[in-house]
Amino acid sequence: MSILTEISENLQKGKAKIVKELVMQAVEQGYAPEEILSKGLLDGMNIIGEKFKANEVYVPEVLVAARAMNVGSQVLKPYLEQAGVKAVGRVCIGTVQGDLHDIGKNLVKMMMEGKGLEVIDLGTDVAPETFIQTAIEQNCQIICCSALLTTTMGVMGEVVKKAEEAGIRDKVKIMIGGAPVDEAFCRQIGADCYTPDAASAADAAAAFCAAN
Amino acid sequence: MTNRERCINLLHFKPVDRMPAVHFGYWPELLDEWVRLGKIPAELAIGNYDGSEKERELDKLLGWDFNYYRTYGSANHLIPGFETKVLEVLPDGSRRVQNADGVIERVKPGVTSIPSEDDYLLKDRESFEKYYKPKMQFFSERVDVEFYKKFNDIRPYDVPVGLHLGSVMGNIRNITTVIGMSYLIYDEDEELFADIVDTYAEMQYKCAEAILQTGAKFDFAHYWEDICFKNGPLLSPDLFDGLCAKHYKKRNELCHKYGIDIISLDCDGVTDKLLPTWVETGVNTMFPIEVGVWGDQFEPARKKFGKNVLGVGGMDKTALRIDKAAVDKEVERMKRLASLGGFIPCPDHRLMPGTKFELVQYYTEEIKKIKI
Repeated sequence: MSILTEISENLQKGKAKIVKELVMQAVEQGYAPEEILSKGLLDGMNIIGEKFKANEVYVPEVLVAARAMNVGSQVLKPYLEQAGVKAVGRVCIGTVQGDLHDIGKNLVKMMMEGKGLEVIDLGTDVAPETFIQTAIEQNCQIICCSALLTTTMGVMGEVVKKAEEAGIRDKVKIMIGGAPVDEAFCRQIGADCYTPDAASAADAAAAFCAAN
Repeated sequence: MTNRERCINLLHFKPVDRMPAVHFGYWPELLDEWVRLGKIPAELAIGNYDGSEKERELDKLLGWDFNYYRTYGSANHLIPGFETKVLEVLPDGSRRVQNADGVIERVKPGVTSIPSEDDYLLKDRESFEKYYKPKMQFFSERVDVEFYKKFNDIRPYDVPVGLHLGSVMGNIRNITTVIGMSYLIYDEDEELFADIVDTYAEMQYKCAEAILQTGAKFDFAHYWEDICFKNGPLLSPDLFDGLCAKHYKKRNELCHKYGIDIISLDCDGVTDKLLPTWVETGVNTMFPIEVGVWGDQFEPARKKFGKNVLGVGGMDKTALRIDKAAVDKEVERMKRLASLGGFIPCPDHRLMPGTKFELVQYYTEEIKKIKI
């Protein structure tokens, strides 16, 4: 078994310490940082994402896999920068104003990072203006809004309006997700994409960035 | 017929004179909203909780027969609780607060509902043995035995009342958080998480046993779990079954021994993958079946498990924020579910801000007209 496959498999099992050691070994053995990322870390997260969509694994497995990926990514980061490897796209993500819940948002972030996207995490209780300002200043291709509460989902519509007012609506995709929202609500507020789970959100974001 | 007789008959597939109009309480923000809109007097919003006098007054204005959620239980939580204290006040006014479970939550003025968790104390075997295990032990003061000795004389008989059985996994999820639960399952020795579940469950069993031994009579028993979300369970059904099934079985058998044959369970989210564990161990009633927010459904459960699954709930409460047409659509759906038998329509959780007072009145009128 190649060391890259070992990285992928241990990441899927959530073995953060082993993933860290294997990534270091792979670097020492002369593997290209991009290859370690794509065939090791991202491969493992992709498999977990697919299994999550198919209900073959559940939230705990995703969380421990993502933690292992973060540990491996931290080791790899300086080598990727040195090699000039860039993210496949840039996303800003946050839980909308009035809502402090972030488990769903964090799952989406992890899955998106698992697709090689750079994710700017704005945290929770994020004002519509902050999403827009960040998208402009950081050249984000996607704004990603999360909500758990029925009382806060309306803020997503405000994000769409602010993007129109700021003149960036045609430059940025707006994705929404969370317990109370659905496809109909997405259409109602004029957002671009609703996905039912974190792995599908990452797929949609990666597909959009690849197409642009 | 009394509402108690109606409910008991419905959940045993027996005839009733009419469908009762039942609900599952109100979010306080809604009551404040109705006060602001002049729909109810301010005093009705104060001290209005499940089963209270104020709630019964409000129920009359709205046409409800009663709040179905009337349960009695024990002090089956962590005792003594952790000191509740503010750890940090953030620039936006929100606070990081350590709660009685040892979980650090983010709290923002004016925002209630489900807590948002920041950190937690139960991280390994040492913290379990030292801080948590002692707080999970049974002792006699957890149950107010004197109250339960008089219970049959003072309990209401016009509505069904339930014995609250606590939870098996929900409390554990509360004290570890979703993230902490995930890390504990994978990081520590395999027995630790099972030890936590077993310790807590044993105490809750003893609490239920102590109540029932007083001779107190209940119409149903009830669990609270909240261990699912929009896409299903928060942990694998196999793991859940392995950790929890024996505890449900033991507690449900206790209930059966004392003549309780309606055992309900309240769980957020889409519950279908955990239903086999619940049904096979004796839980037989889904409540409140959250259709609107989570997309949970009663009919597939009935198809799969037949009359072994009963339902109370399932009405998409968000229709009460829209218009009569939306309410009519839900009433029609409720008629269809009621026709299956063993089902009592009820809004699928507490009524939330934005709920229209007049639409609730309309709904209660219509639901009582359902022919069974």
